[in-house]
Amino acid sequence: MLDKGSIISNISDQLRIKRQESARGKTHNELSNTVNSQADALKVKNVQIKQWADKEQRAEAQIHIRTKAMDAATDGIFIIDVKNKDFSVIYSNQAFQTMVGYSRKDIIGKNYFLLYADIADLRIAEEIKNTLQKDESFQGEMLNFRKNGDKFWNYLRISCVRDVNGVVTHYVGIQTDVTLMRRKDFEIKEQREELLHVTRVGKLAEFVSSLAHEISQPLTSILSYAQAAYRMLEGKDSQLQEILQYIINDDQRAAEVIRRLRSLLKKSDPEVKPIDINKLINETIELMATDVTVRNKVIKIALEPKLPNINGDRIQLQQVLLNLISNSLDAMEGRDEFRELSIRTSLNGSEEIIVEVKDSGCGIPKENMKKLFSHFFTSKPDGLGMGLSISRSIIEAHGGRLEVKNNPEGGAIFYFTIPVGGGVKEWS
Amino acid sequence: MPIFIIGGKNLMFLDKKIIYIVDDNESVGRAIKILLTTFNFEVRTFTSAQSFFDSVSNNDPGCLLIDIHMPGIDGWAAHKRLLDSGSKRPVIFISADKHENAADRALKAGALGFLQKPFNCQALVDLISIVP
Repeated sequence: MLDKGSIISNISDQLRIKRQESARGKTHNELSNTVNSQADALKVKNVQIKQWADKEQRAEAQIHIRTKAMDAATDGIFIIDVKNKDFSVIYSNQAFQTMVGYSRKDIIGKNYFLLYADIADLRIAEEIKNTLQKDESFQGEMLNFRKNGDKFWNYLRISCVRDVNGVVTHYVGIQTDVTLMRRKDFEIKEQREELLHVTRVGKLAEFVSSLAHEISQPLTSILSYAQAAYRMLEGKDSQLQEILQYIINDDQRAAEVIRRLRSLLKKSDPEVKPIDINKLINETIELMATDVTVRNKVIKIALEPKLPNINGDRIQLQQVLLNLISNSLDAMEGRDEFRELSIRTSLNGSEEIIVEVKDSGCGIPKENMKKLFSHFFTSKPDGLGMGLSISRSIIEAHGGRLEVKNNPEGGAIFYFTIPVGGGVKEWS
Repeated sequence: MPIFIIGGKNLMFLDKKIIYIVDDNESVGRAIKILLTTFNFEVRTFTSAQSFFDSVSNNDPGCLLIDIHMPGIDGWAAHKRLLDSGSKRPVIFISADKHENAADRALKAGALGFLQKPFNCQALVDLISIVP
């Protein structure tokens, strides 16, 4: 039997136990909640770590592929650290090493400009440094040397690498070996010069021969008169005969000069000097005078007086004038109704002089207009097709333009401009 | 001493060779004429090939001294015309222009020769004296 007290205590025990159990349950719940949330956090962390790891792996893969790509590039690539005041190279790719002939070990940590210091042009190095120190990119072509002393033409571009604040931290350089292209350019230039020479010599030979012709005629009659007089005075007047002998000797000397002139046509170097274009035109017309007369044509000139001088190469500009005049004469060849060729100069503003050569021929067919200035295009049976293309190159080298248009009143007008106070570029 | 033969309208020196000069440059023609006269040649000058053909027939004796470069009929064309018409007239070409192989071309065409202007009188007389 249970007594009351024991029952009560029993109940209270039970209640306590219950309370304790409930408290324990509560703690347990709290605990498990914490554990759960920590586990969740851990899961998130894990995912994050995995993401980071993936990212890093991807970044590494990217660096790897970029390095591989840099080494696969055919241009030389290098990086210079700006922190080192001596322009030390911190990276160079395979092509760079091949191009300069140094190993990576030779290059890394060395001053870029000292790589070829003993033989490179230091003025260019200074120019590059100055450009970079102004935080500007550099671009230029220069002659460099490989480790073994071989020359190569280097087309070099260096640009600045900046951090988030825009501060330059590195320079990245790309260089291309353009030796082959250079050689090709040089060959083309040489060929052009040769062709130009051929044409010039051809033209010059023409003028020398017409000049020689004009001078030889009076020399022939003077010599014949003097020899006739000498013979007539035989045994009569030895003093006069002596004088006549001097005339004969000098005549023959002059004839010898012409013979030598005919065989002596040498290549001359371009010479840039101030030129009075009107004077040059007049001199050129004088040279053409025989040709013009023989062809039964007339040249009319309208030259703007007091034109400023231009800077140019006389021979080259004269060659252009000759070419244009002789083309115009050809355009009127065999047509007696087309006789007049006119040459006009004028000043366009204060910047350029315009020279116009106008013929009264049939003009230029539309389909030939475009091809007119290309090499080896000719409408003449014995033409080389070099004249106009060379002429255009010469005018462009003088900073001008050579153009053509048809005259609405008939014939073609070739005109070129030459800037006042310009110079002459090397042309190829 | 020259021998005079009087007969018909013509009065001729038997030992005088006749030379026709054709040159568009009048002064050159006159000078060579005066020079050749001192060598006792009879000389007639023309300033064009056409005027020569107009006044001298193939039967007229004499040697032709002709300039190559002339307006109208040039020296080569005139020579061809002579040959085509069956003429045996001796021809000497002269020119103030430089002609490559002109001497060869002249000889091949059957001419006596070619003289580059200005030429020495002896060279001209030597050529003329080839003609019998």
